[in-house]
Amino acid sequence: MVLKIRKLALLCIAPAILATGCSRKNETAPSGPPLSQNTVSYFKVDPSTAASITGTVHYNGKPTPRKPIDISEDPACVEAHHGKPYDESVMVSRKGELANAFIYVKSGFEGKTFATPSEPVAIDQNGCWFRPRVLGIQTNQVLKVVNSDPVTHNIHPMAEVNRAWNHSQGAGDPPLNRKFTKSEIMIPVKCNIHGWMRAYIGVLDHPYFAVSKEDGTFTISNLPPGTYTLAIWQEKLGTQEQQITISPRQHAVVDFNYKGK
Amino acid sequence: MIQHRIEHSLMMEKGRRILFVCICFLALLAVFGCKAKPSETPLGTPVSVHPPLGLPAVPIPSDNPPTTETIVLGRRLFYEPKLSKDDTLACAACHNPQHDFTDGQALSKGFGGAIGVRNAPTLLNVAYQPLQFWDGRALNLEQQAASPIADPIEMNQSHEVSVTKLARDSVYREMFQKAFGSEDVTLGRIEKSLASFERTLLSGNSAFDRFEYGGDKNVLTPAQVRGLALFINPQKGNCAACHTLNPNYALFTDGKFHNIGEGVADDGTIKDPGRFHQTRIDSDRGAFKTPTLRNVANTAPYMHDGNLKTLRSVVDFYAGGGNSNPYLDKEMKSIHLSGQDRSDLVEFLNSLTGEIPANVGPPQKKE
Repeated sequence: MVLKIRKLALLCIAPAILATGCSRKNETAPSGPPLSQNTVSYFKVDPSTAASITGTVHYNGKPTPRKPIDISEDPACVEAHHGKPYDESVMVSRKGELANAFIYVKSGFEGKTFATPSEPVAIDQNGCWFRPRVLGIQTNQVLKVVNSDPVTHNIHPMAEVNRAWNHSQGAGDPPLNRKFTKSEIMIPVKCNIHGWMRAYIGVLDHPYFAVSKEDGTFTISNLPPGTYTLAIWQEKLGTQEQQITISPRQHAVVDFNYKGK
Repeated sequence: MIQHRIEHSLMMEKGRRILFVCICFLALLAVFGCKAKPSETPLGTPVSVHPPLGLPAVPIPSDNPPTTETIVLGRRLFYEPKLSKDDTLACAACHNPQHDFTDGQALSKGFGGAIGVRNAPTLLNVAYQPLQFWDGRALNLEQQAASPIADPIEMNQSHEVSVTKLARDSVYREMFQKAFGSEDVTLGRIEKSLASFERTLLSGNSAFDRFEYGGDKNVLTPAQVRGLALFINPQKGNCAACHTLNPNYALFTDGKFHNIGEGVADDGTIKDPGRFHQTRIDSDRGAFKTPTLRNVANTAPYMHDGNLKTLRSVVDFYAGGGNSNPYLDKEMKSIHLSGQDRSDLVEFLNSLTGEIPANVGPPQKKE
């Protein structure tokens, strides 16, 4: 009888243990697919044949005077900006050189995979202004979003190929570290709070891009020899393309001209 | 063979005896166990809670009508550090009346300095909330009250120990006698007393209430009046979509759960599942209960994770449309509010500070 009772108890307890045991196991079981071995081999540039492209972006014509931007609706921004803000959509020097144009290799790297740089690219919200206004980044490289202002910003990259997102960042908050996974020329960036703030991000799966400086110059270096389509983008003046063939160790000069009104 | 039979019958006898003992024990438990369970019906002088201007009638559960005695007991328990494992933390450690029943910290410090996972919400007007905790996991105040006592990273004391500690104290035995009719200390009695005390923590009659419900049109500043207009305008602040106002009263909460994007990590994931933890409904991911805005000027920092330090940063957060994520509430959208608009909204929020009632602070020693 005692034995029977014991057996009965065991019979009752055993399935319970089994049941909870099993459900536990299910909870801890890995849910994702098994990790595949990373077999990607990155393209390496041969330093003995590496070439470069330098050039200047010109604006032919009389530049229209830059319009002042009214940021008075946020007094904290007025204080943070230090000086009067002006429209930066067409930045032409006295000599007719165009800044903030994005120059990049549009085609010629088919089949090649480039390593992602480990150092991030920074964009700062400073004086209720994005700095820099135009920047390039590689796919999966970290975009470090900094808020140096005493006010809250809400950065909003309005991506179409990549996932669009927006994120609030208060004064003194740590940087955001975000990535774009696909090539996209260009992603307009706004601040959801301060409507005048604008930036443009070019995302490419290779490192061959540059932004023209105040004197209109740009440099693309460590380029393997080959035939490429070199393209330029400017937020107001549009895009242009040139076919170029680069021989080993060549320091090619390629200029771009935008016609003014 | 005979030997075996004798053994068998002995074993049968032993089995019967065990069964008999079990049955007797169950019978005893049925008779005395139930009979011995002390009543948890509040006794003493019934109290009718009169809400201040701007608040509706306080909902009272039928099995816990407040009495003077249960409220006095609940107040003492609320400030009782013996309810924690090392006798250092009372409920008031995180719900401090000096901080309008919050702790002023982003995340609360519990037993041994353990950091909690969420911001301590104010207990002001908690009586009106249909569900308790940020994720609504407690159905009422009675159910909520005992939970932090036993939580390992809060007060970290089993209910058995709490009951034993209080039962050793003659003052408590007398108070339980008066409140429930016998000296017995039970968890149910503790919960009911704490809940009844918490139902007295009402904040109304603020400048806003006198303006909106009291007919005093001069009590708000022009900036606050502008802020109120923005607050209720669906095309502008749209705040009242969740922080609701009624024609006769305002709780400034719909008691529901919304994902506003607070707590979105760099990789786009949501750090704290919030309401989803209870409901397992996908759209509840990252959703938290709308907090009241009563006395909000005194309850910084803000949000379920205490991530926003000032009211201005909260208003700015909403002006920017929060943080994008797949479960963002449909009421969350980027809205154009000028710097002036946002300042006006902050000014309006400053008008929601009501008086905290008397007799809710730490009780006197001899009370």
